[in-house]
Amino acid sequence: MADTEMTDGVPLNGPSPTDSTLASRIKDGAMDVSSTIDTASGSRLPVTVEKPNPYEFDLGNLLAIDTNIVPRDPSEEQLSAIARDAAQVLINQLLTTCKVTSNADGVTLKLPLPTTALPREKPIPTPKPPTKWELFAAKKGIKDKKREGKMVFDEEKQDWVPKWGYKGKNKEGEDDWLVEVDDKKEKETGEAGDKRAENRQARKDRVKRNERKQRANDRNARKNG
Amino acid sequence: MLRQVKPKNARSKRELEKRAPHEKENPKVTLFLSGSKTSQILKLAVNDLAKLKKPWIEKFTKKNDVHPFEDAASLEFWSQKNDTSLLALSLNSKKRPHCLTLIRTFDHKILDMLEFYINPETLRQLQQFKNRKPAEGMKPMITFHGSAFENPNQTKYTLAKSLLLDFLRGEEASEVDVLGLQYMISVSVAEEEDGQPPPPIHLRGYLIKTKKSGQKLPRVEVEEMGPRIDFTLGRERFAEEDMWKAAIKKPKGTEPRTKKNVDMDIMGDKVGKIHLPKQDFSEMQTRKMKGLKRSRNEEIEDAQTIVAEEDDGEETTTPKRSRF
Repeated sequence: MADTEMTDGVPLNGPSPTDSTLASRIKDGAMDVSSTIDTASGSRLPVTVEKPNPYEFDLGNLLAIDTNIVPRDPSEEQLSAIARDAAQVLINQLLTTCKVTSNADGVTLKLPLPTTALPREKPIPTPKPPTKWELFAAKKGIKDKKREGKMVFDEEKQDWVPKWGYKGKNKEGEDDWLVEVDDKKEKETGEAGDKRAENRQARKDRVKRNERKQRANDRNARKNG
Repeated sequence: MLRQVKPKNARSKRELEKRAPHEKENPKVTLFLSGSKTSQILKLAVNDLAKLKKPWIEKFTKKNDVHPFEDAASLEFWSQKNDTSLLALSLNSKKRPHCLTLIRTFDHKILDMLEFYINPETLRQLQQFKNRKPAEGMKPMITFHGSAFENPNQTKYTLAKSLLLDFLRGEEASEVDVLGLQYMISVSVAEEEDGQPPPPIHLRGYLIKTKKSGQKLPRVEVEEMGPRIDFTLGRERFAEEDMWKAAIKKPKGTEPRTKKNVDMDIMGDKVGKIHLPKQDFSEMQTRKMKGLKRSRNEEIEDAQTIVAEEDDGEETTTPKRSRF
């Protein structure tokens, strides 16, 4: 994220002897209570701000709201004085109310959730309506079977074969080298019929039927959701 | 508006999934575009705003003949096409000089918009302040000064506050590195007075410097880093009420669950309320001694009485209806 800086200039987070960042301050013990006692005798810069109206905060957005009167046609000095006070108060608030954790990566602050109501960019997603099968399964109390991989053991071949696909188990009876002739059928229709082709057609029909159901579920979901 | 596309391959499917509504949304992307006429001032200001907004920006380089307050259909189209929910349109005209329109969309429909007229005299760029700039994508601290922003009624200034906050705040974060608190955007406005023109909004960017104060908290100083932009506000379009209601709806389960029975009293002490079940003394462990032990005979008697009670219970129940 922080690979390039905004414009010309040196990145702030590079180490520099003159630059004093807040994190190093805190690591040096700016947050420790003991340091107050040590340096109590030295000259103190004020860290509190007195204003007639108190500030409001939305720490989740790192936001401070100042309702004090801003002079009309303010000079730059006035504006930066106002900004400094707000920055001081905001940082005070962040450091006193948020949980500070310090580890090898640096010092981090845990922020609360934002409180200012800002609009979302898209509506909250609605959950997908259940399919007909899901409804039926729920009614009957049918649980999903746990799937254990693609391979299944074939007792006849004494080997593992795929459940579907090339040489799949679902193609059983489609390429048998010998099939029994259906006597009854031959008598009725006059011809023996192809058992292998029929089996294959039945499988294809099952797939088509499932696709049809899927489409119907999608259509229903679009209509109702 | 746009037809529902069915993804034909996995890549476009992933892309569509990314654009679909999510419970936790990605940071809003801003589309910067210019109308049929723009000005140098606008270009400079927009450049700086885009630098603050990076990397969540999209930019159009060509001019487009759009007038958002007359017809916003093409803006909605671009918002959908580029998956951007904030748009910044720069348009310069004699009547509305250096006008930057901030537009917010919800579900790729215009939610609200506001015109900011940039004051060309006071504009200063990021570049013009010779100091270090924060890294890209840093979350800024934001402050709003002036009571005009806190009007309980919907005014141009409250809309400006909402838009600027949405525009500037960057990524939503639950945690920030203290090193990341590098700069602050301060937006201030003077008091509104009757008989005077509405006060301009002053947008300033400051770097945060901290000094040892000799106390627990550091002393904070600021140094201007730009951009320095003064706006006056122009036309506005507030959000429709039901659309706004839908837009600020929070998904269920995101609110932190309030802990029951845990409270804070006036002194700031944590107070808990405990509900105890009724104590069962028969289960209580007392001192074990021979004299308190129940004899075997007693136990048998007890069991018999229990059985007898059960028999009584059965008799009192209504007899089953006989079948025909």
